[in-house]
Amino acid sequence: MLEYIQKVFEGKIDFEGQNLVEQIVRITLFAATVVSFLLGFALQSLQVTFGAFSVVTVALFLVVLPPWPMYNRYPVQWLPAQDTKAK
Amino acid sequence: MHTLYARVNNVTALLSSCMMVLLAAIALSSFIFTADPKGQLAITNVQVVPGNARRYGHRQQDFAFVNFNVSADLSPLFNWNTKQLFLYVSAEYTNKKGVTNEVVIWDRIVRRKEDAKISLAGRNKYNFRELSASFRDVPPAHYSLKYNVMPHVGVLTYGEAARTVEPVLFPAQRQLS
Repeated sequence: MLEYIQKVFEGKIDFEGQNLVEQIVRITLFAATVVSFLLGFALQSLQVTFGAFSVVTVALFLVVLPPWPMYNRYPVQWLPAQDTKAK
Repeated sequence: MHTLYARVNNVTALLSSCMMVLLAAIALSSFIFTADPKGQLAITNVQVVPGNARRYGHRQQDFAFVNFNVSADLSPLFNWNTKQLFLYVSAEYTNKKGVTNEVVIWDRIVRRKEDAKISLAGRNKYNFRELSASFRDVPPAHYSLKYNVMPHVGVLTYGEAARTVEPVLFPAQRQLS
């Protein structure tokens, strides 16, 4: 039970998943900054700017933080253990 | 990035950088708006009355009472980054010793664009006294309506909306019966 809870909170993902997360975070945050600025400027409302920015941020957290299966599609293939005591 | 905590760390680090860029962009965008609204300020009446200076016991002290009319439409100053306006009327004069004084005699905080159209007949909210205790022989004063634009993010900007065309004399002290 304790092991299961630890595993959930650790939320490990594989190397391909880490690369994917990095790309998603970068593109989303940069785009959110630019779009929310332009949207708020167009509508002349700071509320719109920060509303849009925080909605995108919360959505990004949901997409990126939990170890979704899409981030664990390429588990590391370990070589079989070699028996060093042989010979 | 392999564990949950590493991802939280990484995402919030980039998030704070993006937030800083966003705030800087908002602060800089204020410079695009260069509204410079003008209004009118007319001094209708100035009276000088003797009284007790409370701070210095029973020393006699002149108090000036100024009535004025203000009309100005300052709503162009409200843009997306304007939090509120601070309006004030100040008297500017150079006293006998050659010191230039600027005395704020009235102010108002405007929080909403709908309230930015000012049209009122007012009098000084704050005691208007001369440092030398008397307005005798003090040169005529100019009065001006000025404002501060307080932004949500960025720098405080100053401006002047109105100014009296001719300096206004301080009349002789009026004796209270």
